[in-house]
Amino acid sequence: MLFSVKNVSKAFKENQVLKKVDLEVNKGDVVVILGPSGSGKTTLLRCIDFLEKADGGELDFDGIHTDLSHASGKTIEKVRKKSAFVFQNYNLFANKTALQNVTEGLTVGRKVPKAEAIEIAKKALDKVGLSDKYDSYPVQLSGGQQQRVGIARAIAVNPDIILFDEPTSALDPELVGEVLKIMRDLAGEGTTMIEVTHEMKFAQDVATKVVFMDGGVVVEEGTPKEIFTTPKEERTREFLMRILPDFNYSI
Amino acid sequence: MKLNTEFMRETFIASLGGVPKTMLITILTLLVSIPIAFAMALSKLENKKVSSKFVTAYVSFIRGTPIVLQILFIYSLLPSTLNHLIKDVFGLSVNVFKMNKIVYAIIVFSLNNIAVLTELFRSALGTVGHGQMEAAMTVGLTKRQAYRRIIIPQALVAALPNLCNTVIGLIKNTSLAFLMAVQEITAISKMKAAAGYYYIEAYLMIALIYIIVCTVVQLLFALIEHQLSAYKKRLAV
Amino acid sequence: MHPFHPSYVFTVLVQLFPYIGVTLLMMLGTVIFGGAIGILLAKAKIKRRIVPRAIAEVYTYLTRCVPSIIMLFIVYYGVPALLLQFGININNFSKGVFVITAFSILFASNLGEVFRAAYLAVDPGQREAAVCSGLSEFQAFYRIILPQAAVHALPNFSNMLVNLMKEGALAYSIGLIDVMGEGNLLIGRNQGSYTLETYLGMAIIYWALTFVIELIFGRLEKNLSKGKKHATSVA
Repeated sequence: MLFSVKNVSKAFKENQVLKKVDLEVNKGDVVVILGPSGSGKTTLLRCIDFLEKADGGELDFDGIHTDLSHASGKTIEKVRKKSAFVFQNYNLFANKTALQNVTEGLTVGRKVPKAEAIEIAKKALDKVGLSDKYDSYPVQLSGGQQQRVGIARAIAVNPDIILFDEPTSALDPELVGEVLKIMRDLAGEGTTMIEVTHEMKFAQDVATKVVFMDGGVVVEEGTPKEIFTTPKEERTREFLMRILPDFNYSI
Repeated sequence: MKLNTEFMRETFIASLGGVPKTMLITILTLLVSIPIAFAMALSKLENKKVSSKFVTAYVSFIRGTPIVLQILFIYSLLPSTLNHLIKDVFGLSVNVFKMNKIVYAIIVFSLNNIAVLTELFRSALGTVGHGQMEAAMTVGLTKRQAYRRIIIPQALVAALPNLCNTVIGLIKNTSLAFLMAVQEITAISKMKAAAGYYYIEAYLMIALIYIIVCTVVQLLFALIEHQLSAYKKRLAV
Repeated sequence: MHPFHPSYVFTVLVQLFPYIGVTLLMMLGTVIFGGAIGILLAKAKIKRRIVPRAIAEVYTYLTRCVPSIIMLFIVYYGVPALLLQFGININNFSKGVFVITAFSILFASNLGEVFRAAYLAVDPGQREAAVCSGLSEFQAFYRIILPQAAVHALPNFSNMLVNLMKEGALAYSIGLIDVMGEGNLLIGRNQGSYTLETYLGMAIIYWALTFVIELIFGRLEKNLSKGKKHATSVA
């Protein structure tokens, strides 16, 4: 087991968004978290990378063990150096070129020498199909291209795990495909991924584990086959019926 | 640290006597400058060739030079110029120099304030979408009615915070009227301070008065804003 | 009425030109010290911890209500008298010190607002992406947020600088010999015969300085927004 969080709780004012959630991830897993909005799935992801401070819970990550609500700065930095985050709104550094966006985490975050960082960054950008955009600024790129840079930025640092927060939700439909393709490739290479998404097909085809969340708890989890064809819980069934128009027909 | 509190109390009360003058200058300045600034703002928005260029130059000049310079300029040159105009050009036997200095203060501050207000009105009117005017016209209102009933009320709400700042700025500027021998707040306390050498006490009291006046003005504006933006709040369900 | 000699305006400009340095120096000093206080104020207001924030809000409020000339008098006439009670005599300090102190106190709140607005204008997602990439909070601030905030600050900063220059002209009243101070001395020396020309010359200098400031900052803003220009095609 590479990574696990236990008993994660988080409330925003009076709204209890996460109620003692557990999640376990093994090396090479592609975990997809599904659920209606407000189910807490994005919050869970953000708590894992300390973008939100959980009220309670523990994190176990490749030798690092910490309390999510009382983590020290050093521990947080350690966790972030072993992981990478891909944002719904890309969050590319507006004042840096695509290449610089990718090298930033290497040179500044991990003290990699500049020449080596540039090599790695170029390879990452090539991998996501942006070899001709090294020196472009985010504002000169389409949404799909920006997200691909975001992914390049994530893979360049060679993380143990990549967290994806609805990576395609902000994209125009015709740009979603290019990003999903890269994610499929990554999954195929054995990258450990946790993804919050609405892309059902991706979940069905690529995930090794599907987690369904609703109302701040994990309702059900299992392999894609289990969840999509024989869901055990009523809530899961309701959700799938709403989202997948042809649910009743898939075997 | 010894502060002469008796003197402070005296100065405070004496300086309060300057408040009416300060407010008089402020209000009269506003009354004079608002309509003129409004007209200037309109001429810029409607792109009237000649006047809009004049407005730009005027605003640029006034806002690019210190107000104290404007005060000294007007105060040292206007009286004699007026005198020359009235006596030699119009042949009247009015003694300009006996005129209440407060008039010069109002003239200078108006000239200055007009420039500030022109920019303020221009941006406030700009925030009201073109669609409002278009709708007003199609419904049959004249331009004048449209401005009066639709555009200005909305622009006013947008302008209020900046207007409040401008009025406070104007009140602070009036502290320089003492340069024109007007007996407002600063002049009075300056005299008292020099008389008794109790500088820090006197000036702290002046500061206090300005703070009080400022606060009152801000409360007033908050009230007005609350009243006027009622139409906006009903939309938020 | 006095005759008007336009050519004398040039004489005035030449004589006042060296004193522009004093004006600019005063502005620089104020920006440095006022800016230092302003950073503290901005930080206090952004971080939301009650006590520092309350102090910052009160400071901003008070300094915005007090006219510049009053603050100048308090610092120049009042503070030395006060310190004399403790046996400290600062009456021999150069006038510039008083001027910079007074205006630093006043403009700290303006600067604080400029900094605060600029910081808040940067998308919080930028910081998030930076720390998730492995940068420390410190690195994230200096490499990602600050450069972007600086661009947002430019127009407001340039406005504030022009205001500072204009308010700073009041310094002549305590004897500082800047453009304003020398100009008034000039008028005195000429015994009133070239008043109009001298005032015009002074006005031209200030107007020109305003123009230059706006030009410089306009250029700066253009050059630094390369990450923001809406370029060719967003396919």
